[in-house]
Amino acid sequence: MAIAVLGAAVAFVAWCLVDLARAGQVRYLPKWAWGVVICVSVPWGGLVYLILGKARPAATAPWEAPVAEEAGLGPSGPLFGRHVPVSPAVIEVDRLTKRFGPVTAVDALSFTVRPGRVTGFLGPNGAGKTTTMRLILGLDAPTSGRALIGGRGYQEIIRPLHVVGSLLDATAVHGGRTAWFHLLSIARSNGIGRRRVVQVLEATGLAAVAGRRVREFSLGMKQRLGIAAALLADPAVLIFDEPVNGLDAAGVRWIRQLFKSMAAEGRTVLVSSHLMSEIALTADHLVIIGRGRLLADTPTGRFVSGTHRDVLVRSPRAGELAGLLTARGAVVRPEGDGGLAVTGVDAPAIGDLAAGHGIAVHELVPRHGSLEQAYLDITGDSTDYRAGTRTPEGTAAS
Amino acid sequence: MTAPQIATTGLAVPSRLVRARDVLAFEWTKLRSVRSNYVTALIAAVATIGSTAVIAHTVASTPAPPPGGTIPALTTSFLGYAEYAVIPVSVLAVLQFTSEYTTGLIRITFCAVPRRWAVLAGKAAVTGGAALLVGEVLAFICFFLTQAMLSGRHRGVSLFQPGVPGSVLAAGFVLCACALTALSLGAIIRHTPGSITASLAAIYGLAAFCLVLPSPWKEDFGRFTMPFAAYEILAAHPQPGLLPAGLSMLVLIGWPAAALLAAAFVITRRDA
Repeated sequence: MAIAVLGAAVAFVAWCLVDLARAGQVRYLPKWAWGVVICVSVPWGGLVYLILGKARPAATAPWEAPVAEEAGLGPSGPLFGRHVPVSPAVIEVDRLTKRFGPVTAVDALSFTVRPGRVTGFLGPNGAGKTTTMRLILGLDAPTSGRALIGGRGYQEIIRPLHVVGSLLDATAVHGGRTAWFHLLSIARSNGIGRRRVVQVLEATGLAAVAGRRVREFSLGMKQRLGIAAALLADPAVLIFDEPVNGLDAAGVRWIRQLFKSMAAEGRTVLVSSHLMSEIALTADHLVIIGRGRLLADTPTGRFVSGTHRDVLVRSPRAGELAGLLTARGAVVRPEGDGGLAVTGVDAPAIGDLAAGHGIAVHELVPRHGSLEQAYLDITGDSTDYRAGTRTPEGTAAS
Repeated sequence: MTAPQIATTGLAVPSRLVRARDVLAFEWTKLRSVRSNYVTALIAAVATIGSTAVIAHTVASTPAPPPGGTIPALTTSFLGYAEYAVIPVSVLAVLQFTSEYTTGLIRITFCAVPRRWAVLAGKAAVTGGAALLVGEVLAFICFFLTQAMLSGRHRGVSLFQPGVPGSVLAAGFVLCACALTALSLGAIIRHTPGSITASLAAIYGLAAFCLVLPSPWKEDFGRFTMPFAAYEILAAHPQPGLLPAGLSMLVLIGWPAAALLAAAFVITRRDA
């Protein structure tokens, strides 16, 4: 029946096309010619139908069947953990430079993001974090240098969502589409099944609102939707730009746990932020940039201990003690509340000195610089510099 | 393929056919999941059929039979179609790209399908296919509606007269050609108002300008615009000064083809 209908349709179209080719001519095809057209068209229609039918033989269309299963990576059971990274999916940024006219957004930036840990990507507003991520994702073409994921440029990856999940801008969604269809369309683009869409909707807590249009979503819900899209294909590399924006306290805790568990599974996780406080608890490694240049590429723990140490001293004879300490080569900075911030001499030496001169000490506290303070120290110059003159390279580019 | 390679890529590399179907499914899911697309198609259908009925009634109730035999009767079928179907469908086609550019969704699209020409091809196939389907349905409805009203006055034409079925089929294709031109301009310009203006200028503006030119130039330039080419084809009879039907068809194919090529050139070289 279907073959007959299709054949008739093809015959009709063929008739119309032949007529179109003859438009304007007075003579008309004889009746037997139409018999030939129909006799030829019907078998062809049947053949087309058979080919189309063969192309999708099973009840599940190609996009229904998760390709990871075909590759022998096991059935889709738990949400995460299907991916078994044998070869590391490293992000390599190699002398990456991007200029927009006279402005150098990213300036010969080189760093490597390794799997198995959360890498925080920090910098003040306008430091070039988003531009770097767009360059990694192949959305912008670099002026020079390159960014590779697992040794390949993003644009060379086939079905890239299976390798890299990313969230650049959570508000970049079509408001008229429901969350379900937003995710389903993305899933279909990379051959991901519907079951997986249901899974990520449940994992991100959006299952109840899947049928609602995205324009009704709060920023926090859109962030969750963006994270769901990034997790769709269970990728080995995750790239998030400011993912904490708009999330409530529970959401922030959830996303931190998510990053940590993803990294623990051996994934590569790159998370940008302009606030150290958002990253400090999550990131194992920090890449800090300012004005498009690399300022620090260091484990989080070492970044803290490496900078800004002093000792807080309180004493009823503070002035006398300060004089003694200065004489010993220490730098003494009086704090507003009568305490002394001492650098250059450690706490035991200060205690001994005070005891030797019979000065009572009420408080003696060695202080480590906070991550926040260390971050402000390192980016302070680049932030201030922004308002000033351009870099020589930037000027040359114009 | 060895195990480490599978783990590196995460999956087996699908064939080109499967990837093409991925992109088509992607764009089709996006097209069908926005309600305004259905509303636009409905508006196009209602406005087209309604205006066609009014025009056919007006022509049928005109006492003097127009000279020229079947030509006016056939062209009458598409007077409403040529505007009330083309404008909304062109706007819908423009929005396929501009709505993604203005919301930023285009970056998700390009992350999912980094080969940008494939995105363009997928959108062109889905939008063009939908426009072709809508166009053919509306063209045949308009034809039968008009001829039913004209046949009461014995001035209608039959679908079985030479030149007629081809013309009606080509009328459906006109909508597809306009939609693809508009889609490409949307990809090039990226902003909705500018793209709509440019599309209507390309589809109607140039022809309207040619109409006010002095006579030899009017046809010399006008025959390369889409409305003149469409008129030649829809008349089912050679028109003086215009290109023959086959070349007019080439004009109708050439506009969207050139626009698609330009769009492919631009979007593969531009930062998203």
